[in-house]
Amino acid sequence: MSATATASRLVSELRAICGVGHVAEAPTENILGVAPSLAATPGSPDEIVAILRFANEHGLSVVPAGGCTQQYTGNLPPRVDVLLYTSRLTEVEHYDAGDLTIGVGAGWTIAQLSAKVAEDRLFFAGDAALPGRSTVGGLLATGFYGPHRHGYGGPRDYCIGVRFVTGDARKAKGGGRVVKNVAGYDMMKVLIGSQGTLGIITSASFKLFPAPRQTRTFVSDFASAEEAFAFRNRVLHSPLDPICLELVSPEAGALLETRGAWSILLRAAGSDAVLARYRAELGAVVSREIEGQNENDLWQAVSDFSHTLLEMHPPSLLISMTLPLADVQPVLDGLALVAHSNDFTLAAVGRVAVGHLLIAMWPAPNADVTLVNFVNAASGLRNRLPRDASMAVLHCPPESRHHVTAWGPMPTDLESMRKVKMTLDPKDILNPGRFLF
Amino acid sequence: MSLPQVAEHLRKIAGRDAVLDRPEDLMLYEYDAGIRKSTPGAVVFPQTTEQVSQIMRVASSAQMPVVARGAGTGLSGGAISKEGGIVIAFSRMSRILEVDVANQRAVVQPGVVNLQLSEHVSHLGLYFAPDPSSQKACTIGGNVAENSGGPHTLMYGVTVNHVTGVEVVLPSGEIVHFGGKAAESYGYDMTGFFVGSEGTVGIATAITVKLLRKPEKVATLLAIFESVDDAGQTVSAITAAGITPAALEMLDGWTLRTIEAYCHAGYPLDAGAVLLIELDGLREAVEEQAEAVREVCLQQKAREVRRAKTEEERALLWKGRKTAFGALGRVSPSYYTQDGVVPRSKIAATLQHIGDVSKKYDLIIGNIFHAGDGNMHPLILFDIRFADQLERALAASKDILEYCIAVGGSITGEHGVGMEKRDLMAVLFTEQDLDVMTSLRNAFNRENLLNPEKLFPTPRMCREILGPAQNPVLAQEGM
Repeated sequence: MSATATASRLVSELRAICGVGHVAEAPTENILGVAPSLAATPGSPDEIVAILRFANEHGLSVVPAGGCTQQYTGNLPPRVDVLLYTSRLTEVEHYDAGDLTIGVGAGWTIAQLSAKVAEDRLFFAGDAALPGRSTVGGLLATGFYGPHRHGYGGPRDYCIGVRFVTGDARKAKGGGRVVKNVAGYDMMKVLIGSQGTLGIITSASFKLFPAPRQTRTFVSDFASAEEAFAFRNRVLHSPLDPICLELVSPEAGALLETRGAWSILLRAAGSDAVLARYRAELGAVVSREIEGQNENDLWQAVSDFSHTLLEMHPPSLLISMTLPLADVQPVLDGLALVAHSNDFTLAAVGRVAVGHLLIAMWPAPNADVTLVNFVNAASGLRNRLPRDASMAVLHCPPESRHHVTAWGPMPTDLESMRKVKMTLDPKDILNPGRFLF
Repeated sequence: MSLPQVAEHLRKIAGRDAVLDRPEDLMLYEYDAGIRKSTPGAVVFPQTTEQVSQIMRVASSAQMPVVARGAGTGLSGGAISKEGGIVIAFSRMSRILEVDVANQRAVVQPGVVNLQLSEHVSHLGLYFAPDPSSQKACTIGGNVAENSGGPHTLMYGVTVNHVTGVEVVLPSGEIVHFGGKAAESYGYDMTGFFVGSEGTVGIATAITVKLLRKPEKVATLLAIFESVDDAGQTVSAITAAGITPAALEMLDGWTLRTIEAYCHAGYPLDAGAVLLIELDGLREAVEEQAEAVREVCLQQKAREVRRAKTEEERALLWKGRKTAFGALGRVSPSYYTQDGVVPRSKIAATLQHIGDVSKKYDLIIGNIFHAGDGNMHPLILFDIRFADQLERALAASKDILEYCIAVGGSITGEHGVGMEKRDLMAVLFTEQDLDVMTSLRNAFNRENLLNPEKLFPTPRMCREILGPAQNPVLAQEGM
């Protein structure tokens, strides 16, 4: 069969599955510059099963997509046959405010989910970049977390059930709708952060939290990273129990429109008496308090940091690192050297009491930066990765993508991960080439 | 290879004094804290990861089933060997390998006793959060296999939320590492997958766990109710008031009287039920929440709300809760503990159903459970010397768990599926759900030598148990 004949067969087959109006040829979205042959928006898990069966039979690559807010990450895909949107999976599986749980389709946006539960004074703990676009499915597939990871945990902690279709087109579930449940393998853990390479998540259940009655953000500015880390350690050894504890470097502060020092943003929840205790414990080092809409905007800006950066400095290197707590400061010091030696400006934000850093580097003013500097900086960071740490090059200029591997070394045995991949997606149709395998 | 030959191999690997294979010795390893029994062919006590690896290779070449065993406190038969198989007992791998205060982590061998770790780091102001009732005896390796919980999982989560890395010996004998000291890692979350896999994927030989800072303030309340129903409604009301206690336990009247006679914890003898409620955290927050909880309880018809005034009083209230199983041993020759979970709003109805089941099967059923997260522990009393009583106990248990599933819950919140609940997995999950899980097991444990006949139903069971599609209650619940 010729390539054209195959393409037209693909379109008619997928239209037969999803309906004519839900398959688009030549979609506008591209994946790291690679144009998909077509985009399909199935309306049910069964339609996804049918699409994946067809893809397995014909060796087609399928890229699952939610709001496409994180699709700028990962390795270059060799090709994209089907861009598969989950946006029509929007049912509510269960919701009872009294149970503090909710189950929704993967196509729900994070903003919709947060707003829905806020009506009952509940809180969904997942931060998302661009929450009006980010979806439940995308949040889980990328394992995304933001500043509230500090106090509430990440998706691995608050996701209690998941339904999905494996790469080899098996419809299955893990967990359930109760907050405590150890029956069967923990399929949530398998899928969260698997970057859409094992299965397509169709719905998920979450643990919710009572919404805090009030919150306050205490901002402390420091002249050096060293002082900021000393403050972090002081908080960690205190009885305080903040819901966010975020480091913002001076250059990142400029992007977030804070003040451009080394800042620690500490968000606390509680009564007036509790907030007064925070004031007393933190002392004079707090330069200002933020509350109300400004406070919410600030924390959303922290979650949006990558997107803001890429808008303001398109040719930049953006790296995410997870590392043991004690390594955060020395690694950050080392990164400053890497940035300096390649003529880059360095900005960092991070959950410094969890062990997560987002690092951005872009050409310093008037610097003569070339492709080589980007490649060198990425490998410089990789070489400084301490034991047990892992990293992802989320973004680099398109022309350097061929020279920069998106994923660094990981503490987990690669062969075991490969076994999982081979079990759930043996023909490698889901997101081929973009992740590890 | 014959069993004596295998035993000889094991002696060469682990030492002459590190293998048991005489019938009188093996009897000690034929049961756990559940009700099933099966006699192993040999028990081996490795001292190093390398020995575990060699043992696995021997078992693999002899095609003998293997099960890892900690303290044998599990309630689901998870640590019981297949008849004639090898038990790898971890009582000689019980060292705390590292306490890393700067990273808030400890690295332990699987045989470390849960409570010992918290005691070991107590002087640093740290502790290990998962606290099963058996924490004085159970091991962290066992906690990892079963993904164990405890009263304080309400706020702090089960074992998986506290494990960041594992060293694992696979059935092939290969030694691999999943995760490490970082809280999160890129790549598939093999650590999260491994924890709670009930010893069917590999055997943990070193475990990296989180250490938490001890809270500044702890308040422990005892709310006394005339009826189980009032106590059940109070659980929902506390949650609705926006309070997340660290622990929220319920004991019904029969159970608390039995415990009181055993350990004099100070429980009221004439109550219908009590709630044991613990709040922890910042002093100011705890005081406010304790007051708010007291108000909610009184609004919900609590007769009285007491607060432990001293650490001794607090310890005594918890001693009652944690020694409940010992107390039951005084009044009944046997008991069967279940571990179903229901949505919080269904607790009162579930207790009602358990009462009906008690009448239907003519068995005493006590209730002592983690009410805050809907994790029920009905304790079914019977006498194992009478076959009909055992049968009724099993039937009552199945009845209760099917009810839990029907109202949107699960068959296990912290004890694991093990041997005893594996047939019910076919009610909770579809055949394809189980197919996906077993295909993952087979990827690591291809010959199914590692803890066989656990966790998953046999294909025969799948067909025999009424599947979800045919069950009108389940179909209505959208399960």
